Amino acid sequence: MLEKQHAGSPVLHIDRVNLTLGGHEILRDINLSIREGEFVCVVGPSGCGKTTMLRLLAGLYQPTSGDVTYRSTRMTHPRQDIAIVFQDYGKALLPWRTAHGNVSLAFEALNAPREGRDDKIEQLLAKVGLGGQGKKYPNQLSGGMQQRLQIARCLAQTPSVLLMDEPFGALDAMTRQGLQDEILSIVRGTGATAFFVTHDLEEAIYLGDRVIGLLPHPGRVAIEVEVNLPRDRNQLTTREDPEFLRLRRQLFDFIKEAES
Amino acid sequence: MKIDRLLWTGASLLFFAALIWFWQFVSDNRWVSPVFLPGPDRAWNAMMRGLQTGDLGLRWIATIERMIYGWLLASLAGIFLGAVIGSSEMARAYIGPSLELMRPLPASAVVPLAIALLGLSESMVLGVIAFGALWPMLLATVHGFSAVEPRLYEVSRALGLSRSAVIFKISLPSSMPDILAGMRLSLTVALILAVVGEMLASREGLGSHIMLAARAFRSADLFAGVILLGVTGLVSALLLGWFESWMLRWRESR
Amino acid sequence: MNALLRIDPRGLVLPVGLLVLAEVFARATNLQSDALAPPSDIFVSGIAALADGSMLYATWQTLANAGFGLAIGFSIGMALGILMGLFAPLNRLLEVTVEVLRPIPSVALIPIALLVYGFGHRLEFSIVAFATMWPALILTRSAIAGIEPRLIEVSRALQLSLSARIFKIVIPAALPRIFVALRLGVGISLIVAVTVEVTTNPMGVGYKMMEASQALRPGLALAYLVWVGILGWAVNGLMLLIQKHLFGPAANIEARL
Repeated sequence: MLEKQHAGSPVLHIDRVNLTLGGHEILRDINLSIREGEFVCVVGPSGCGKTTMLRLLAGLYQPTSGDVTYRSTRMTHPRQDIAIVFQDYGKALLPWRTAHGNVSLAFEALNAPREGRDDKIEQLLAKVGLGGQGKKYPNQLSGGMQQRLQIARCLAQTPSVLLMDEPFGALDAMTRQGLQDEILSIVRGTGATAFFVTHDLEEAIYLGDRVIGLLPHPGRVAIEVEVNLPRDRNQLTTREDPEFLRLRRQLFDFIKEAES
Repeated sequence: MKIDRLLWTGASLLFFAALIWFWQFVSDNRWVSPVFLPGPDRAWNAMMRGLQTGDLGLRWIATIERMIYGWLLASLAGIFLGAVIGSSEMARAYIGPSLELMRPLPASAVVPLAIALLGLSESMVLGVIAFGALWPMLLATVHGFSAVEPRLYEVSRALGLSRSAVIFKISLPSSMPDILAGMRLSLTVALILAVVGEMLASREGLGSHIMLAARAFRSADLFAGVILLGVTGLVSALLLGWFESWMLRWRESR
Repeated sequence: MNALLRIDPRGLVLPVGLLVLAEVFARATNLQSDALAPPSDIFVSGIAALADGSMLYATWQTLANAGFGLAIGFSIGMALGILMGLFAPLNRLLEVTVEVLRPIPSVALIPIALLVYGFGHRLEFSIVAFATMWPALILTRSAIAGIEPRLIEVSRALQLSLSARIFKIVIPAALPRIFVALRLGVGISLIVAVTVEVTTNPMGVGYKMMEASQALRPGLALAYLVWVGILGWAVNGLMLLIQKHLFGPAANIEARL
């Protein structure tokens, strides 16, 4: 609904961006507009610059030329309303803080009032399926639970944009599917815009409203497909939908071509 | 499992008691001259007498105070300087090699210089303790701060943490294992240098006590002092060990 | 580690700058001190002491005492460490004894050794031996504990005798980490030897330094201080080189007590 209303004004906009790091051309002439509430997935072989693109959107990197804008203002540094879910949850959590304390860090950064903070943290933990686990330290949680915890911390920022860098890449298949559905419902529930990097084509189609395919050396946008599947996705029926299979085939061919 | 552990600790204590008994046996039979080796009974009596008359107790406290003051001074300075050096790559490039150069220098080697500068004074002893205890602290903190997971800095940027919040909420706790290890090492160094300083400057303390006892061939007093120093080392190591495992309780996983 | 081989010029700025500053300061204020001396004076005194052999003789005394004490202390510590690492009951039985005796500060034993031996070599190396025994014991024990269990099972399956097990399996497998312990012990032996010389024993570089200081020759005293620093640095560097040569980069393990 939301994305239809604001279709005209993109939340995130990448305009003729080139990026060179340490003498290597990483990205060339990237153009991308992400609409409000849209779920954009990026796929591509390793070294295609998909993570770099996410870091540009996060404001962690600055383009060599061109502009990255968030609601028409240039991204010069990270913003508190743009949250990042890193792939390596083990490194992105504070091992010396409990689950509760890790979520609290986001509130501390926002200087949110202390009052009611604990309740909010409990609610967020419950939302990602970590209800009652607040007292545990990250190394007492499984990989999937640690990633849930990182997501909870990102939600504490009440982000309008959620950037996710292969968040489920290190998890086993079952955990992964469960988290895919949860992230979908969370994103839909908050109305946030999502940018999701993955190397898994099916995951990209399953989650995305749109899938971008990048090619490496230097990284550039090579294919863009709209995913015209019903927005309520289902691990069984969606993955068997002829449209899903058609898109999968299309992207698969693209990757194969890229590799040859 | 737990009973097993308890039994072994008991056996281990018994073994230690047997050693003490053997020591008593050796001295009772005069296998070693009592001039050199008093029995545990004589050492114990000398210690009790000394503690009750107060002299030995005061000396003990003086040594402990020196050790703790010098160590605290070194810890504060070491953590602060280490944090500054460790969190800046540039500072590391400029100062790091000099630190490495100073690292193998025995702290006691600066005693002559310290005496020449400060005389046989209290501040000389404290200065030497603090100087010697500073290095392990400083090097450990530098290491801790330079080894903070870079991803955590990105997380703090993404969350928009302030500069001071990054230091106190990310860098400092992340360096805590190194800092605590450094504190443990520098406490050992502080006790050693407190004794060295007291011996050389003849300041009131266990160091001068045992030195005087040795010169006067009062072996029981000598052993009493050494035992108290051992107790000091043991208790301080235990306390710090407990503090360390409490601070780092997040490391134990279940 | 690599600081030995590759030198970042930025690291030289501070020490060189401080030297120049000290020299300029001493000359500008026409320094007359019983404690401090301009770097040039320290350098000249040091060269003179090297040339007349007194510094080298003192160095020889210190190194001999440190080396001999280390040889005794490390051997005892390593032997105990191997036994305690191999036989869990022994380890548990000695636990209290080790934990109680280890924290005794080595310098506290100086008066005892003085009483027993008087001044001389034996006073010094006995203290060095005590001080180096504990790290050798602890680190060897943990080196043994860190051996791949499969290797121990292999030696059991082959029904090797105890000595064959120790010399053919355990020691070679634990050797890289034991060497790291030895490197640490070398550093400790030098520190303790100098400490004994500074406090009591009238021999070696520590005593020479004390003597020069009391004779109000700060240039010479500081030259000895610098020399002790160079010795410590050189000995550690040498051990690093040997370690690299013997075990390659695989031995890049840091010892932690």
